[in-house]
Amino acid sequence: MKASVASLYQAVELHQEIPPLLLGERCNPNGSKAFREALLAEDWDACLKLALDQEARGAQVLDLCVAYAGRDEVADMVQLTTLFAGSCKAPLMFDSTSPDTLEQVLPLYPGRAIINSINLEDGGTNLDRICRLAKKYGAAVVALTISLEGMALTCEKKVEVAKQIYDLAVNKHGLRPQDLLFDLLTFTVGSGDESMRSAAIETLAAIRRVKEELPGVGFTLGVSNISFGLRPAARKVLNSVFLHEAVEAGLNTAIVDAAKVLPYAAISEEDRKICLDLLYNRDPEALMIFIDHFEQAVDNDDADDSDSLRMEELLHQKLLKGDKDGLEDLLSGLRGRWQPLDIINNLLVPAMREVGDLFGRGELLLPFVLQSAEVMKQSVALLEPYMEKLADEGRTSLLLATVAGDVHDIGKNLVDIILTNNGYKVHNLGIKVPAEEIIAKARELQVDVIGLSGLLVKSALLMKENLAQFQGVALQQPVLLGGAALTRKFVAQDCVPNYEQPVVYCADAFAGLKAMRDFEAGQLVATDWSDNAVVSNRPGPPTDVLDRSFVPPAVPFTGRRTVTDVDPEILFKYLNEAALFRGRWGYRRGKMAKEEYEKLNEQTVLPLFHRLKDQALNEGWLQPKVAYGYFDCSSSGNDLLIHSGEGDKLFSFPRQEHAPGLCIADYFRTREEGGDVAGFFVVTIGAALAEKTRELYESDSYHDYLMLHGLGVELTDALAEYWHERMRVEMGIQQGASDMAAYVAQGYQGSRFGFGYPSCPDLGAHLPLFELLRPEEIGVSLTESFEMVPEMTTSAIVAHHPQAKYFAV
Amino acid sequence: MRYICTCCGYIYDPAKGDDMNQIPPGVAFEDLPDSWVCPLCYADRDKFDPLD
Repeated sequence: MKASVASLYQAVELHQEIPPLLLGERCNPNGSKAFREALLAEDWDACLKLALDQEARGAQVLDLCVAYAGRDEVADMVQLTTLFAGSCKAPLMFDSTSPDTLEQVLPLYPGRAIINSINLEDGGTNLDRICRLAKKYGAAVVALTISLEGMALTCEKKVEVAKQIYDLAVNKHGLRPQDLLFDLLTFTVGSGDESMRSAAIETLAAIRRVKEELPGVGFTLGVSNISFGLRPAARKVLNSVFLHEAVEAGLNTAIVDAAKVLPYAAISEEDRKICLDLLYNRDPEALMIFIDHFEQAVDNDDADDSDSLRMEELLHQKLLKGDKDGLEDLLSGLRGRWQPLDIINNLLVPAMREVGDLFGRGELLLPFVLQSAEVMKQSVALLEPYMEKLADEGRTSLLLATVAGDVHDIGKNLVDIILTNNGYKVHNLGIKVPAEEIIAKARELQVDVIGLSGLLVKSALLMKENLAQFQGVALQQPVLLGGAALTRKFVAQDCVPNYEQPVVYCADAFAGLKAMRDFEAGQLVATDWSDNAVVSNRPGPPTDVLDRSFVPPAVPFTGRRTVTDVDPEILFKYLNEAALFRGRWGYRRGKMAKEEYEKLNEQTVLPLFHRLKDQALNEGWLQPKVAYGYFDCSSSGNDLLIHSGEGDKLFSFPRQEHAPGLCIADYFRTREEGGDVAGFFVVTIGAALAEKTRELYESDSYHDYLMLHGLGVELTDALAEYWHERMRVEMGIQQGASDMAAYVAQGYQGSRFGFGYPSCPDLGAHLPLFELLRPEEIGVSLTESFEMVPEMTTSAIVAHHPQAKYFAV
Repeated sequence: MRYICTCCGYIYDPAKGDDMNQIPPGVAFEDLPDSWVCPLCYADRDKFDPLD
């Protein structure tokens, strides 16, 4: 768990990916005239507005100070804390050195606050009381390096006082190092005072030393103190350069007005040099040069601040909401204030991170994440003409491929979408990529990490082999593995030992994102598996004895037939809506109340469904076709021998190694028992829909891509459900069409076992199946690894035996 | 409360239990053993959504 503080609404990490965490300081009657007037007038709404304005301008934590001559600090603090707690998303920082005030206000706050501050000015009396409160209420604490001798000016003194405070807070009061934020103080280099010329040097050196000598603690700093006494426009530049240097030294939070900070990249080389000379005391004339240089600078703060600042917040909101309207105008406005690269790195990437965090906490559903990714993608595309092309150097890169013999790319493409739009460089090699090509490309492109994907059981086995090949040529990149047939246990026990570098199981695209972040932090480790972990059950029908006396039904014909005039509309009657909406599309109810979920369904899911349904039907994306047949057969052990006009075909089925030891062949009678009949089918909705999904992916329509792909997969299954029903009716084991809800739970006689699914995982059975049914006639072919193409195709053997139900071998 | 599998649409109804996993009637979804998976598609419990 990373050190964080929290409001009622959200947790905020103290160590941001892009430091510093910005602490807004304007709710302070001593620093802000507007706040002072509002406080004195007891205009609480005006106080709140000042807090919310800071949030809108980028403050991530809000400092609240009400100590003012003639006011009752406790009463004002209680009043405003109650109001802010319910209205501000940003966590609060209670700015008071009075233990009495803190004691009243801490229990009222529904989050994890920061106390600002403790020091050793009085030798430690208040520090003791405040640390006890911090421990009791779980608050973080800002510690100022002030001792009985006053404010620490030199690096030596700052470090010494910091160590004294650390000793008391951590060793005596049991706070954790991460609970402390040291403010090592800084003083102006703009006064001309000889003794203060090295103020910046002392502070920066102290941050480095405390960071090294007291591991785990954080820092904060009133950055603008460095420029006190200088002109506003010049201060803005100097503050920004100093902040940059302090962050380099290790500063993770800063008390600063986000509006008054310039991105470092936006400061010219000349300006930077002049500031650095002053900060590092490199030239006796540095201050004079600085003042001369910035004499002409015009402070246009008041003119453009409100608009441009709102633009930044607006972009943040648009990304979170997945709203692309007006993006071009907004970005062109922002380019007036920021370098394009800084818009990406400082505004868009952190917002995407927030999107990922919301998804991780179950507060944002996958379709909305994809809409946010579309805003990200489009923003980058709109910015690219104005920059040197997004530099690849420095960006962590991933080589991504679906392994040989596997044509499935939705999972891999989702990883591409999520990682690309979180700032990573992704080289997507596509599907059916052999190990040799992955090795060659990994070397040629010098990627940091390799990601392998694949849906099939066979693909999981192939990943294990690929890793051995990678080891054979001594690849050095960690490998991330993802795919439906993989389990954590398989990766840990079968894949990890084959490769020296970390091999990591990723359950979904966001696990992949986390792995990339771990890699960057030097914390990526191979997936492990404890034998104590819970082993999943293997469900199956509670079969004791199979009824061997069951007489096979009469079939309408033997041999194969094709059907090419299926009405596409009928598929929607057989669609498994729960699997589509909640599973494929990701519109899960999760923590939502029933009413809330119904509202989401009515307002978002069903309109989307009807839009896609109408498009698919009107534009001819569905071309359902069937190849099927009935055949005389007989079983023998695990084998089923099919008698066809063109000779016998053998299907060998696997048997469960565990009780009750089921095998598909058991559901059919042996030759001695009189033989049996088996049905088979191959159904496809054609290639048009797959082509459409490919176009959507290539045009970065991520949301519609996932939605249409999911619809296609479920319509394919709907066709299988429909045709299985037709075959039961034809065999006379069912009277007519029945209830889809019952079908979901196999509420019919017999079963259909899909090839490649848990009862018969081996796709090799497609070879005899294709000889029997000739599905080439409906446009379906096999790849070298026996997968069917087009992707939206499925196959099954149909058993009529009443005890036949799904099981897993 | 009934729960629905988001992968295949199977509904776990505590009134009925789940004989594919040897669960008798009367066991609440929350009380199913950790090893329990969807009897139809083998999805883990965290793939289930509350239904009622």
